Amino acid sequence: MLFLRRTLPLIIAFVMGMIGILVFYIPHSGAQALEQELTKWDRIVAAFAMVLGIYSLMRLHWGRVRRQQAGWAYSFLVFVGFTVMFVLAIYNDGQGPLSPQVIDSGPFVWMFDNVQVPADATMFSILAFFIASAAYRTFRARTPEAAILLVSAIIVMIGRVPIGALISDWVPWLSQWLMAVPNLAAKRGILLGVSLGAVATALRIIFGIERSYLGGGEE
Amino acid sequence: MSRDQIFFIVFLFIFATINIYLFGSGSLSADWSGLGTFIAAGITLSLYSFLYKDNPLFKFAENLYVGVAAAYTITQVWYNVLWVDVVDPLSELGSDESLGNLWLIVPTLLGFFMLTQLSSAKFSWLSRIAFAFVVGLGAGLAIPRTIAANLLAQIQPTMGPITADLAGFNLFIILVGVVTVLVYFFYSVEHTGPVGVASKIGIWFLMISFGASFGYTIMARLSLLIGRVGFLLEDWLVLPLPLF
Amino acid sequence: MKEFLLNIDRRIIFIFVALGVIIPALTSFNLPINPTPNVQSIYDTIEEVGAKNGTILISFDYGPGSFPEVQPMALAVLRHCFKRNVKVVGMCLWPQAVGLAQQALDTASKELDAEYGSDYVFLGFKTGFHSLVINMGHDFHGTFPQDSPGNNTTELPVTQNIKGLADFDYVLCLAAGNTPDGIWIPYGQERYKFKFGLGCTAVMAPDQFPYLQSGQMNGMMGGLAGAAEYETLVQASGTATEGMRPQSVVHLIIIAFIILGNVMYFLYGRQKGGAQ
Repeated sequence: MLFLRRTLPLIIAFVMGMIGILVFYIPHSGAQALEQELTKWDRIVAAFAMVLGIYSLMRLHWGRVRRQQAGWAYSFLVFVGFTVMFVLAIYNDGQGPLSPQVIDSGPFVWMFDNVQVPADATMFSILAFFIASAAYRTFRARTPEAAILLVSAIIVMIGRVPIGALISDWVPWLSQWLMAVPNLAAKRGILLGVSLGAVATALRIIFGIERSYLGGGEE
Repeated sequence: MSRDQIFFIVFLFIFATINIYLFGSGSLSADWSGLGTFIAAGITLSLYSFLYKDNPLFKFAENLYVGVAAAYTITQVWYNVLWVDVVDPLSELGSDESLGNLWLIVPTLLGFFMLTQLSSAKFSWLSRIAFAFVVGLGAGLAIPRTIAANLLAQIQPTMGPITADLAGFNLFIILVGVVTVLVYFFYSVEHTGPVGVASKIGIWFLMISFGASFGYTIMARLSLLIGRVGFLLEDWLVLPLPLF
Repeated sequence: MKEFLLNIDRRIIFIFVALGVIIPALTSFNLPINPTPNVQSIYDTIEEVGAKNGTILISFDYGPGSFPEVQPMALAVLRHCFKRNVKVVGMCLWPQAVGLAQQALDTASKELDAEYGSDYVFLGFKTGFHSLVINMGHDFHGTFPQDSPGNNTTELPVTQNIKGLADFDYVLCLAAGNTPDGIWIPYGQERYKFKFGLGCTAVMAPDQFPYLQSGQMNGMMGGLAGAAEYETLVQASGTATEGMRPQSVVHLIIIAFIILGNVMYFLYGRQKGGAQ
């Protein structure tokens, strides 16, 4: 059993990883066909992964409802929202679930436009208030480094909106220069570092050193 | 009655009064479209009530949204992938010309293996096979592409010839910035002497870039707020903007 | 007064921010919007594609959470494409983008009488991120045998001659996550060398500059300001252009608060901190 539970997944990860690398460098049509085939499989497994993600979210809320934990009524609301939307999706504006989805009209689209869009957009916009308050509270030029950060933020905030050009043509120019030269340099430095790290992690996965994707529990 | 309860009742009263006026005056049409705007405005304001403090109205809208969004995602997966690419082709396997779809059985099986992750320990190990496939293949595909697109393609333009004009000066600054930022992140050497100076310059570059990111983040959040306020003023209250 | 200014209640700041958005939204004053070179180059590329009656792929990779920022870009670009007879293929790497993409395509196509199938096609959503892009690179019709309404892509005039990603004259990603730098560039542009442009949220924009300088990306619209610049270029003022008034005012308000915070800190805060 240990072979099936641990060794086999490690072998699969190694073989798939090596194929993934090699097909990139082999221009032969056979290698390209293999890459095409495996990525097709990957796309389909990814669809199941999304189902798994949603299922585990719903299971979490179901657990709260079943145990009648504090605030379980809100978890129940998640089910209400889910069920209504799910039923409307199956109804598919009268077409049923076995034909192409109707996405330009009908109650499903109505729910998306009038519940999901406003809720999601508002949720993120609330942060505008908190980030403004945080800027006032924490943005202090305590050290020379903090002062650089502050000045850079202020120049960018004025230069990126039309009011910057009203003050002087130099403001948008300076803001664009900050973005396209020093900011670019720092972001590229970070990108190079992160990319090296990503390659190292990918190699660790392929060679079975990094195994966290196998999850915990019995080895 | 507590102060919060009074606020809650006043809020509902004002919201109801405004909507009665809007529907009564015909600003909002008495059909699905008008009802949609009414619901969207209600959800928007309920979520903004969080600015006063966390409250049941906020939680109501938030949790309803979570459920709706989860169902939306899963139905997109069904109609665009599972139905078109898996179930439909597999259901036609009986006919001779669709034998080319036999390969589908493997990823479908792997997909079901993945779903065993939340089942009992007896079967959940099967999910490891699916995860090993996805993670292993993903790692393999990523390595050469990361090297080509994010390392080589990024190093090359950093090393361009430095000319005696603004473009050359900029290129020089970029080179200095990239090198010093990398020095700052290189912890294997003690940051003293010339290395210390370089890492200090690296910090300045990082601070400019964090400042820029912070400024842009403020900008992004405000844009979202402007969008929602625009909805409330124009679509819900039907004000002919600009008023003045 | 000193204590008050040192510790302004956050709700007072909230009120300033809210008024800073509402009042400029209600009033009318014009601010000059000058397109930056990064936005201009997307516009120029679409003009070039239009001149040769070419096809562009737009990947809608955002959700309702970034709707106010990215949707105006989608609308402005689609209007531009339909005006110049650029054929558009739309697709989504994010499931939540389907409804938003459909909305944008509906609005722009109705305004400019663009016809489904011969002027534009919508492919909908597919899972797989990097694997999807790799598949599309090799075999477009095999990856998307059908469009969203269920037509065969081999038969639709817009898509019938597209064999792989390299056949698109331009690929434009409208994003609110890591799909441009994490997916489209390493898994698509790197190998198939198509021209690639980006419209993204302001949060993402600073991270994309390395790709602009390296030429892996030929243009970028960043946030609502980027969208407003594109609206200016296509001479169709929309929500982004309107949004620049409140955006400018609230930026000034926040900067004023930051300066106030620092003045108070240097006048009193430091001594207070030292005494503690």
